[in-house]
Amino acid sequence: MIRNGLFAKLFSIVFAVFMLAPLVVVIGVSFTPEGFLEFPPSGISLRWFRAILDNPDFIEAAIMSVQLGVASATIATVICIPAALAIGSGRFAGRDALQALFLSPLTVPTVVLGIAFLRFLSMMGLNGTFWGLVFCHVVIIVPFVLRLVLASVTGLDPSIARAATSLGASDWTVFRRITLPAIIPGVVGGWVLAFITSFDELTVTVFIVNPATTTLPVKLFSHITQTTDPLVASVSTVAILFTVALMLIVDRIYGLDRLLIGEGSR
Amino acid sequence: MAILELRDLTKRFGETVAVDRFTLSVEKGEFVSLLGPSGCGKTTTLQMIAGFETPSGGTILLNGRDLAKVPARARGLGIVFQTYALFPHMTVEENVGFGLEMRKVPADERRRRIAQTLDLVHLSHLSGRYPRQMSGGQRQRVALARALVIEPELLLLDEPLSNLDAKLREEMQLELRRIQQEAGVTTLLVTHDQSEAMALSDRIAVMQGGRLIQEASPFDAYDRPANGFVSSFLGKSNAIPGHLEGGAAGTKLRCRELTLDGPASGETPGPVLISLRPERIEFTGEAEGIVAGRVSERIFLGDKWLFKVETGLGELLVVRRNSGRREPEVGEAVHLFWQAEHLRVLSAESAE
Ligand SMILES: Nc1ncnc2c1ncn2[C@@H]1O[C@H](COP(=O)(O)OP(=O)(O)O)[C@@H](O)[C@H]1O
Ligand SMILES: [Mg+2]
Repeated sequence: MIRNGLFAKLFSIVFAVFMLAPLVVVIGVSFTPEGFLEFPPSGISLRWFRAILDNPDFIEAAIMSVQLGVASATIATVICIPAALAIGSGRFAGRDALQALFLSPLTVPTVVLGIAFLRFLSMMGLNGTFWGLVFCHVVIIVPFVLRLVLASVTGLDPSIARAATSLGASDWTVFRRITLPAIIPGVVGGWVLAFITSFDELTVTVFIVNPATTTLPVKLFSHITQTTDPLVASVSTVAILFTVALMLIVDRIYGLDRLLIGEGSR
Repeated sequence: MAILELRDLTKRFGETVAVDRFTLSVEKGEFVSLLGPSGCGKTTTLQMIAGFETPSGGTILLNGRDLAKVPARARGLGIVFQTYALFPHMTVEENVGFGLEMRKVPADERRRRIAQTLDLVHLSHLSGRYPRQMSGGQRQRVALARALVIEPELLLLDEPLSNLDAKLREEMQLELRRIQQEAGVTTLLVTHDQSEAMALSDRIAVMQGGRLIQEASPFDAYDRPANGFVSSFLGKSNAIPGHLEGGAAGTKLRCRELTLDGPASGETPGPVLISLRPERIEFTGEAEGIVAGRVSERIFLGDKWLFKVETGLGELLVVRRNSGRREPEVGEAVHLFWQAEHLRVLSAESAE
């Protein structure tokens, strides 16, 4: 950090360009006055942003995605807090098995998951429903939440909970007043990561949506299979701005590097 | 009456016996230290008293009441953890007030008691700080205040000073003793640092391998160690294997080819371990010398000198106060003298 070598600097720059280039292209294209994908744009126009308003499908899909993201991220977080506390602090039989179970969705190819979920939801009669989607997204995002929450739980001094107990606090009070506030950066980080993962999930979702529950990524995907107008670019630009705004808010409150790099608690 | 009584307290973790039939009682207002090397079962003992480990056997009585069925949160003990375990998201004031809040103490009395306790530990000016904004020594005081504010019957301290640097540690030793006396709280300290235990305690319980080896005042434990382990663990000591011989004119000690006058001793004649404190050895002239030797090493420590002397009894450690006089140099031939009464005759098996 103090003295980066030339090579390291060069690598960082190349990496940043590589990461940002697609975003720059998408945002650039969205401002074109023309009726086709054009980069660099020949002029600056908000034509394709206005076009979003004429396409309520996209707005409905975006609302659907936000609702799905909030519901899945919240449910996943609520499941992961007790799981992380048990895995992170306990010595009990089946601890490793529990952790492996929670992390296992990471190891299955998403296409396979999509097909499996399709079969499963059909059997349960939940195919295409909102809560069916929520269920699948929870399974997909739980590993992300668990890792972040686990990082802050393992950084926690177990004596802290004992100190509170010795001062007369019940187990519930210890959790509410001591443990939860101490791991909250990891919890919030996990929630945000989960929300974003759910918000742009395509591979699995495309198998299990129906027209009533179409999410934004699925809508964009089906749109570009039909036409190639710059509407996808302007919708993407709005989505990018939304994500960046979310990140900025979290960063202001908790410090993003601390959340994502995993220096969970002090 | 004893505030705390441990009777045959035992803790097994699978095959390992961490604490082995440990018996100890602590009187009201007393400062007692559990002293022993790392891994001897001190923390486990403390955790059982606190209620965080369940004993495998034996009883713990607090004010005559059996604690077996009392959960940790209802024991009302003040505990200071080695890591301080302050609540990171609470200010000093909130940390200290937590125990009072749990006891549903009304807000104004709570404020008064927090202020009073912070005053006791000299931290009133930092009551709004968060733990991460404080130094190690200050956190230590917060932890102490948090434990004391609930006016516990017993204060438990687990290696409270081991995370501080050497100079601060010495300062905090004096502080800890002052605070303990001002608060008048019965205290059980756990430490592996013999100088800390001696400086702070009314009584020391020396532990080894989960067992109580000796229970005595710091002076007695140092001066009359129960065995070779205690004599080498508390301060420095010369341990000389020898052979005890009784006689009408007093005991004799045979070590290698030398015969020494021994002190009165309860040990039966036979092989023994002789312990001699380095500061009880003097340099003297050839006429009075008990053994002759040659200085092999000399270290200046400011207030004292440390010598290693090669003698017929093996290498002996000698400590002399720095009185400003000239002291023997490395390589110099010297003669050593000590009073026979300073020799401690210990059983030979106890040689570590
Ligand atoms: N939870 C545990 N499980 C298994 N063994 C333990 C546990 N806690 C302590 N021990 C063992 O008990 C012995 C005493 O440990 P401890 O009380 O922590 O020693 P000290 O505090 O004196 O250093 C050690 O051998 C340690 O390995
Ligand atoms: Mg310990």
